[in-house]
Amino acid sequence: MQKVCLTVNGREVSAEIDERTLLLEFVRDVAGLTGTHNGCLEARCGCCAIEVDGDVVKSCNVLAVQVDGAEVTTIEGLAPQRLAPVDHITTQSLAGMYRPLEAVRGTPEDLHPVQSAFHRCHAVQCGFCTPGMVMVLKDYLEENPEPTRDDVRRAIAGNLCRCTGYQHIVDAAMEAAAEMRGDPVPEGAAHAMTAAVDGG
Amino acid sequence: MTEAPAHPTGTAPRLVGTSVPRKEDLALLTGTARFVDDLRLPGMVHARILRSDVAHARVRSIDTSPALEAPGVLDALAGAELVGKVKPWGDLMQDLLVGDHFPFATDKVLYQGQELAAVVAETRYQAWDGCEAVRVDLEELPAIVDPEEALAPDAPLIQEQIVYEFGEGNVFDRYKIRVGDFAAAEAGAAVVVRQRFATNKQAGAALDPHGCVADYDSFTGVLTLYSSTQSIYMVRDVLADVLQIPRTKIRVIVPAVGAGFGSKAQIFGHEVIAALFSMRLGRPVKLTLSRADVFRAGTTRNAQVRYAELAMAADGEIIGYRDYIVHNTGAMSVWGNQVVHIGTNVGMLPYAIPNIHVDSDIVHTTTAPGGPLRGFGIPQTIWAKEQLVDMAARELGLDPLAVRERNVIDPDEFPYRTPMGHVIDSTSIKQCLLASADAIGWDAPRAPHEGKGLAVSMKYTSARHPSLDTDLSAVRLRLETDGTVTVYSSDVSHGQSHATMLAQIVADGIGVGIEKITLAPPDSMTAPFGLGTYASRGAAVLGTACRLATERLRDKILAIAAHVLEVGPEDLDTGRDRVFVKGLPDSGIYLEIIAATAAYRTHQLPPGFEPTLETVATYDTPTEREGSDGSGNLSVTYSGAAHAAHVRVDPDTGRVTVVDYAMVHDTGTVINPLVVEGQHHGGFAMGLGMALSEDYVYDAQGRQLNASFKDYLAVTAPDVPELTKTAEIPAPSTMIPGGQKGAGESGTGPVPAAIGNAVFDATGVRFTVLPITPQRMLVALREKERQGVETLRYPDDMPDFTGPRRHDDWPAPVSADADLDFDFDWEDD
Ligand code: FES
Ligand code: FES
Repeated sequence: MQKVCLTVNGREVSAEIDERTLLLEFVRDVAGLTGTHNGCLEARCGCCAIEVDGDVVKSCNVLAVQVDGAEVTTIEGLAPQRLAPVDHITTQSLAGMYRPLEAVRGTPEDLHPVQSAFHRCHAVQCGFCTPGMVMVLKDYLEENPEPTRDDVRRAIAGNLCRCTGYQHIVDAAMEAAAEMRGDPVPEGAAHAMTAAVDGG
Repeated sequence: MTEAPAHPTGTAPRLVGTSVPRKEDLALLTGTARFVDDLRLPGMVHARILRSDVAHARVRSIDTSPALEAPGVLDALAGAELVGKVKPWGDLMQDLLVGDHFPFATDKVLYQGQELAAVVAETRYQAWDGCEAVRVDLEELPAIVDPEEALAPDAPLIQEQIVYEFGEGNVFDRYKIRVGDFAAAEAGAAVVVRQRFATNKQAGAALDPHGCVADYDSFTGVLTLYSSTQSIYMVRDVLADVLQIPRTKIRVIVPAVGAGFGSKAQIFGHEVIAALFSMRLGRPVKLTLSRADVFRAGTTRNAQVRYAELAMAADGEIIGYRDYIVHNTGAMSVWGNQVVHIGTNVGMLPYAIPNIHVDSDIVHTTTAPGGPLRGFGIPQTIWAKEQLVDMAARELGLDPLAVRERNVIDPDEFPYRTPMGHVIDSTSIKQCLLASADAIGWDAPRAPHEGKGLAVSMKYTSARHPSLDTDLSAVRLRLETDGTVTVYSSDVSHGQSHATMLAQIVADGIGVGIEKITLAPPDSMTAPFGLGTYASRGAAVLGTACRLATERLRDKILAIAAHVLEVGPEDLDTGRDRVFVKGLPDSGIYLEIIAATAAYRTHQLPPGFEPTLETVATYDTPTEREGSDGSGNLSVTYSGAAHAAHVRVDPDTGRVTVVDYAMVHDTGTVINPLVVEGQHHGGFAMGLGMALSEDYVYDAQGRQLNASFKDYLAVTAPDVPELTKTAEIPAPSTMIPGGQKGAGESGTGPVPAAIGNAVFDATGVRFTVLPITPQRMLVALREKERQGVETLRYPDDMPDFTGPRRHDDWPAPVSADADLDFDFDWEDD
């Protein structure tokens, strides 16, 4: 057993752990953040990608003891305010709880641009690969603001998705890149948005 | 209901048919969705299964007692102590086939990865250590990896204990089709093309590993099982049977499921084992499979060997199809034999072939269990049949596009019944075919090393399985007392977007905002009985149940509103969360008032009105059982898929690159276009893996050499071409009230064949095995050059190919009575 202390999404987490504990397990079991997924434990699927001291890593391939003292950001750290605070619920329509989808853009109080683009482009099906995809793309797009579609495909070559065929994920990455550059995102770009979405 | 005007005067725009972004997404995007491995219950302990490392062996002894000494270990189990206490299973629901499944190997190990023992401990690592302490003594037996070897009279017998109804030896079941007269078609044909085709064993490899948490309450006797499954009632009913406890004492709840593709459409040993441990300990037990476990013990696409023949008239008409299929279901299989039935029956489409003669021996090998996987036998059939179409067309000097155009179903009148028995209620397959060919520039000249290929298929939309005479889904709706709506269903959404799709239907039906509709998590204690989510049944079958429940709810709502407003229900309309008198959309009563009336102010209800606003509806498709000649309409409607592939083959590396790909589909009336497009993309990617890279590789001892994502070549983003040529030409179903057809699997069916045909066009090599790997391509290209031939069949034209080369040498079905009917004549007996 060994004591390990990490800063996870800005919060200090420490515990006595079995030396075999993976960083992935530390995040999930000790920090209690289960958005980072275990899809293989072989460093192949990318479901476990998180940021450690600013670099994206596959957390199943790192022992927690190796990164003692590090700053870690997980998917839960990307959008801490993902739901607008509910100030008041109108008894007649509950409208206050639900914002129209057009409002779901990447803003600090909302979602990260990669997350919101995933939503608009239907880059999520079962969603198991999604947190890892989002973490990898966030890191990649911060360093490569003007990628081509092929660049994006190579950037996520270490992340498997069995559901989407990757097409909508690449669509989303391109939209997110534009939004992160500050380019205007074409209104209703690929997809008609006609309704509001459940905040929960 | 009439179509709402484009600019609504009170009613909200119709949502069915629009790409409503999904209600599921926020939880999945922010990491708050809970998959089964994310569950943590108070006092929860961890189990691990010790699996066999050898494929075929006699069990001498398995001793779990040393594990019990290991630190933290709470309990251990092996097969011997369960014999006579838990019931074997092996059927789809209950008592239909044979009990070839048991939580652990008892007398024999039948495949690598089979359960030998299990250990439960305080922590995961202690459970691992405990498994290592279990003492196992096995006597290894010869493995059978090749399904044709399993048929040899002297082949070692795999399942020794089981007496099969229709098979013997390693033949587990048989299947046949006798439609028309193939011999006559053969005699009258201008050309008969014949080829032996083999298909691969592909993994579903859903990223969310199979797993469960079992939580037994020793006070109430209720066992709650949280499981990553596609069907709560299949799991509940089989588990109740296995444990011999009442169904009301088992509650199956499904958290978020990270996809299945068919690989989670049955109960597994780990679910039984976790349940047993929890019942013994009275504590919650988590059991999650590792990736290698999922490869070795999850189900796979059934590999097939097909001796296929196609008879064509001089004008290109397809007049006959014959096939002898050796269908490899692995060591044991719940669904495996169904795959060849439905995959072959429906795989005859989109042609109305008049003469069909098929035999199949469904065999066991000492390999991982076979089962359903996206496409359910159709990609295998299409791989053979659509390549034969090209081969015949080329022999007759006809254009493969023209031949397909001549043959695809395009009747003057619907419904149209094919000789095989399919009832086609509508189709646009011909337009899809032409559009797909056009999209890749079919007529344009090919660059060197490039080629184009076509393939068409039709896919069932749910199905009446021969072993399971039902095709049922159900939905219950409740208008809550604040005007929100809860939808209950047992059909698990694991990527199919049920929460959004069903909400679109309900929102249109009763005029409630989509944001106020919630899909309850599947829970066998509360959900109405339905079969589950597989077979592309969500939109059409579950959707129809939802539509019916919505109509019933609407009728009840209108009855209350009519009473309160003192008008007739026919004068009312709904929209924007209220019921209003037609033409007065800004007045009216909010749904929440109506709902509250039905619950809290029942005196104000119309006389005789049954309080509460809850409705339930089921939908069981009007499909047929399979006839004794194999014919029958197994599906309520059929979606169409026409694919056109443009590939480039690198002669130096052997790598096949799909440079352009067009998919034109008929999915009927689409509820959510973006979701359906996503299904087609995903279906394509799975077909691409089947075509070019994915397969189980076994050594001679039956050990899988690639049970990890390191070695199993799952499709990655750079492998996939831009799928911008994905289009719909909808021919709405007339059987399904909303017009829907199944979307989930139609993207997979034609892919290997379209790529195979394109590869031939590019290289002159007709691949007869899957996948078309760079290694195989290089060998084939060299051999073609060495022989100095224009075309080559690989591997059939290889010098060391040992399979039959002439039709006379082809194997016959092993069943002596393959031509006799299965009909039993009770009188004569
Ligand atoms: S779990 Fe880490 S890469 Fe798959
Ligand atoms: S959405 Fe299911 S694995 Fe990517």
